[in-house]
Amino acid sequence: MQTRLAPEFQNSAEGREADAILRSCVHCGFCTAVCPTYNLLGDELDSPRGRIYLIKGLLEGAEVGVETQRHLDRCLTCRACETACPSGVQFARLADIGRAEVEKRVPRPLPQRMTRYLLRWVITSTPRFSILLGAGRLLRPLLPQRLQRLVPIAKSAGAWPAPRHARRVLVPAGCVQPALEPGIDSALARLLDRHGISAVHIASGCCGAVSQHLAAPDEALQRMRANIDAWWPHVENGAEAIVETSSACGVMVREYGHLLRRDSDYAEKAARISALCRDPAELLAALPLAPLGKGRRIAFQAPCSLQNGLRLEGRVEGILHGVGFELLPVEEPAMCCGSAGTYSVLQPALSSALLTRKLGNLGKYTPELIATANIGCLAYLQRGSKVPVVHWLELLEAPPR
Amino acid sequence: MADCAIRLQEAVKAAYAAGAPLNIVGGGSKAFCGDARVGERLDVGVHRGIVSYEPSELVLTARAGTPLQEIEDLLASHGQMLGCEPPHFGAAATLGGTVACGFSGPRRPYVGSLRDFVLGARIINGKGEILSFGGQVMKNVAGFDVSRLMVGAQGTLGVLLEVSLKVLPLPAYELTLRYSCEELGAIFRCAEWAGKSLPVSATAWLDGALYVRLSGSQVAVKAAAQSMGGEILLQEEDFWLCLREQTHAFFHLESAQRLWRLSVPPGTPPLDLEGRTCVELGGGQRWLVSNATSDSIHDAALGAGGYATLFRGAGQERNRLSPGVAALQQRIKHALDPAGILNVREQ
Amino acid sequence: MVLINNWPDLRQELLEGLHRLLPAASVISKREALRPYECDGLTAYRQLPGVVCLPYTVEQVQAVLRLCHQLNVPVVPRGAGTGLSGGALPHEQGVLLGLARLDRIIEIDSLNRCAVVQPGVRNLALSEAAKPYGFYYAPDPSSQIACTIGGNVAENSGGVHCLKYGLTVHNVIGLKILTMQGELLEIGGKTLDAPGYDLLAVLCGSEGLLGVVVEVTVRLLPLPERAQVVLAAFDDVALAGEAVGRILSAGIIPAGMEMMDNLAIRATEDFVHAGYPVEAAAILLVELDGENREVSEQIFQVRQLLLTAGATEVHTARDEAERLLFWKGRKAAFPAVGRLAPDYYCMDGTIPRRRLSEVLARIAELSREYDLPVANVFHAGDGNLHPLILYDANQPGELARTEALGGRILQLCIEVGGTITGEHGVGVEKIDQMCVQFHSAELAQFHALRAAFDPSGLLNPGKAVPTLHRCAEFGRMHVHAGQLPHPELERF
Repeated sequence: MQTRLAPEFQNSAEGREADAILRSCVHCGFCTAVCPTYNLLGDELDSPRGRIYLIKGLLEGAEVGVETQRHLDRCLTCRACETACPSGVQFARLADIGRAEVEKRVPRPLPQRMTRYLLRWVITSTPRFSILLGAGRLLRPLLPQRLQRLVPIAKSAGAWPAPRHARRVLVPAGCVQPALEPGIDSALARLLDRHGISAVHIASGCCGAVSQHLAAPDEALQRMRANIDAWWPHVENGAEAIVETSSACGVMVREYGHLLRRDSDYAEKAARISALCRDPAELLAALPLAPLGKGRRIAFQAPCSLQNGLRLEGRVEGILHGVGFELLPVEEPAMCCGSAGTYSVLQPALSSALLTRKLGNLGKYTPELIATANIGCLAYLQRGSKVPVVHWLELLEAPPR
Repeated sequence: MADCAIRLQEAVKAAYAAGAPLNIVGGGSKAFCGDARVGERLDVGVHRGIVSYEPSELVLTARAGTPLQEIEDLLASHGQMLGCEPPHFGAAATLGGTVACGFSGPRRPYVGSLRDFVLGARIINGKGEILSFGGQVMKNVAGFDVSRLMVGAQGTLGVLLEVSLKVLPLPAYELTLRYSCEELGAIFRCAEWAGKSLPVSATAWLDGALYVRLSGSQVAVKAAAQSMGGEILLQEEDFWLCLREQTHAFFHLESAQRLWRLSVPPGTPPLDLEGRTCVELGGGQRWLVSNATSDSIHDAALGAGGYATLFRGAGQERNRLSPGVAALQQRIKHALDPAGILNVREQ
Repeated sequence: MVLINNWPDLRQELLEGLHRLLPAASVISKREALRPYECDGLTAYRQLPGVVCLPYTVEQVQAVLRLCHQLNVPVVPRGAGTGLSGGALPHEQGVLLGLARLDRIIEIDSLNRCAVVQPGVRNLALSEAAKPYGFYYAPDPSSQIACTIGGNVAENSGGVHCLKYGLTVHNVIGLKILTMQGELLEIGGKTLDAPGYDLLAVLCGSEGLLGVVVEVTVRLLPLPERAQVVLAAFDDVALAGEAVGRILSAGIIPAGMEMMDNLAIRATEDFVHAGYPVEAAAILLVELDGENREVSEQIFQVRQLLLTAGATEVHTARDEAERLLFWKGRKAAFPAVGRLAPDYYCMDGTIPRRRLSEVLARIAELSREYDLPVANVFHAGDGNLHPLILYDANQPGELARTEALGGRILQLCIEVGGTITGEHGVGVEKIDQMCVQFHSAELAQFHALRAAFDPSGLLNPGKAVPTLHRCAEFGRMHVHAGQLPHPELERF
């Protein structure tokens, strides 16, 4: 499309990056077909194409206000549009830049600011989140039913194998996963241990995605630098991969190189770390795994981050099928579950509409359980699912429950 | 071959100026359909000849007065045909009359109706203006589709001068199967076959027998015949020709009988009407020879979600359109023939 | 349409009326929010609408039309906004009426082999919904993932499979429309035809000028027993064109037959990674469908014909996944050229097939003359050509040069006996070329027909059919060296 950047953006790196993305959009509208919010709301303004146009308006110096903010807030950043786009528009990057600019210009009412701040404050710190969740668990018996569902019961992690192999990979613990589902990373560690790889668990805090997607890019960069500092010694020691068991975090870590490209101290390290980032599916696909499936009928929910961000559609299903699980058909597989990081808190109506739809699609053929690949989706699906929701790694390793 | 366009145009202009009705006649083969006409006879049969024919482009353009038989013979000599197999209803049938009446033959639901094959037309409107719409190519959306509007308009919207038609290759192989069954069974069988990709090119049920024609490559037709069962009919060409031209015994009318054409959703169960029925076009077209009242027949057709037309027989019949649509059609007529001179019905 | 001076007052009255009739989420009036509606798929033409309405029900659509008719406010209908001729370009002092929220598939009727849908249903969504019943909806425009059935009716859309299965007009058997006055008219239904004049034929391709489509009944076809696609590479575009003629002359009507030239091949391969031969001057994709053995026979015949016509390689898709991938690339060809240049201008002319090589050669010459690359995508089976002019709208003067080149290409189509638009519609984009393709009496006839449906002229004014006044202006603008082009055409 034609663009005429306002002077203030013509000279900024973000402005130029955004302009290049805008120019790659030809306004064809293919993206509207796969956008969950356009599907639900039927308004061009809530479609990727419309959001691109709103951001274009901002960058061309038009006045933006709550309208633009509202429609950008409604974006799940599921990136289904990126997968559908024939022109290769990097929508998520444009949305990040656009949201950050809107945040500077359009004030939010206090309750909104508080919620967003609290979310960042709580989630990005593993200790803080764990403490709060612990408190929630203590109070759980006293809570009404519908709030009890929001506080999942504590689970055990299982043993983490001692590091005995020469081959090492790094497994960052993440922000909420240690408190919610400690068994996922240890399941991966035990699996890898059986195949000659030792996994090193490292406390990491948030990968930066929460801050980035809540239009706090500087805070995100801080988190990223902190993680790089924590991981770098292991990389220098020869860790051959950084394995993110949550696909959404995997997407974020792969962007470290791009987001820190102008930071002279971190650029090279960030690029290396992004290059080392792997999803478990990439490591396990080639390994001979025990046929534990035994024909069990399961439904796999492929997170948006896995399909669109990591472009690994079908890999996990291939692995699960290979070890003998029967994967039931899931309609609308590309439609987001509605969790989308903090979206479920900030956009409850749209989010729950998507959750209902996703659970309906997953449950259509009565699976025994639902498997997924991302902690956000897992925790969210658990709220409404009648069958257990697990991470697919747990299916490969633990004996059948 | 004769290009009488200017002469015809003069006649229409004069009639427009005088407000005098014109009765457009081609070969007179379809005079039976519709009511009697008033006005001076405008003989379009003289304006005849093939204007262009490109077998590799699958397009033929001819003047309206060209005999239909001449066109079909020319196409056949190149291994091609008019896809929808329009009935002639007489040796004098012309292209113009065929298009104006818009009748299609047995192949219609499987390849398209006559209107579907019209690519363009050159007409004289009711003001005596020569206008061209459409063209010689299938994909053409410039302007409104006035050329297809002419199909079935019975000459009331314009005098056809020239029509361009898409043509199809003749099928390599055909055979007809016959089954004994009742009307309901026939309708369901047709529905069942229509849900599979079988090379069906015509269906007809009458007198307790269902006839199905298969067309395509020999391999496909034989494979289909095997899976469908039924008795293979010899001399099937005669059957479909008789059916199309309505020379089959079914269409013989006794004194007070009338022939009705009912257009209903194809899966409609047999209608409870007096008389005998022939179910054609996969169930979508039902011929009814009956003494029943007009009202009962119209009601039955409407009730099924379709409509009925009196095809042959005494009695003045009007299309029973909803008031809104009827008014719209009047306005359209006025837009093309403001003085109301083209093919005016006897009042 | 003439702009009026008291628009602010009228707009106020209009908004008050709309807010009484529609929920708040259905009326958009803030400038910031109107901007994304200022164009459809043709971004070179932009116009901020007066107001945007997004109704949920037919009753709401009717109420909007009645109000606008009463206030003399023009209405521009819009589906998914994927059109390429500016048919949904808003009117500055009008309502942009979005139908995307009427997106229910009302019925899939397998007994009668048809479906009843609301206009906002996406083309592909319809085929996906019909699939479990063993049926599909045949017309498949390349934008089918996103475009709506209502839009397809307005433009008489075609697509890859229209060669064998027809355009939208050949597949629509019923319509419910609202006139500009808000009258609901029902035409046809589940029957093969409707009584009286063929209004379905007139409405298909009427570009939103005659009525607002609120329900469509379409024919469904059984899914073919087998579908297979053959990809052939040629190192000369002319040979590819001739191969097309040979296949048709042999009496084979493929389900689809498409051609892409080298630029288009490269752009789409980059997106879809289908394994297209990126060195070929042109590729042909020929799809055969039907009964299993018949398809095998036809594939064999087609392969032979392609090889004898000079194909350098012929490859049959090895499985259904590859077949779909081959088509995915072709269908994404237009936006995929967005990888080669920031903007593209898609032309849409139809020419007699036998003139293809000549036309492509001329286009290549014109491309050099105007110094703008042109990628060509071609519905080879029916002569519908889509030259894609690649340009950069940010470069001063480039858009104007692009449009000039586009005009020359359309002129060329007319010269060789074709038409200026095969399937994308006239919209605003080709309205001047209508003055060349039709003479004044024909244009007047179009206007008279339009007035029969919409005497007020408020429905999508300024589109599809030029006023005679505009043609006079266009004629005057194109005087060269004292000579009018097409002196045989009437002037006034």
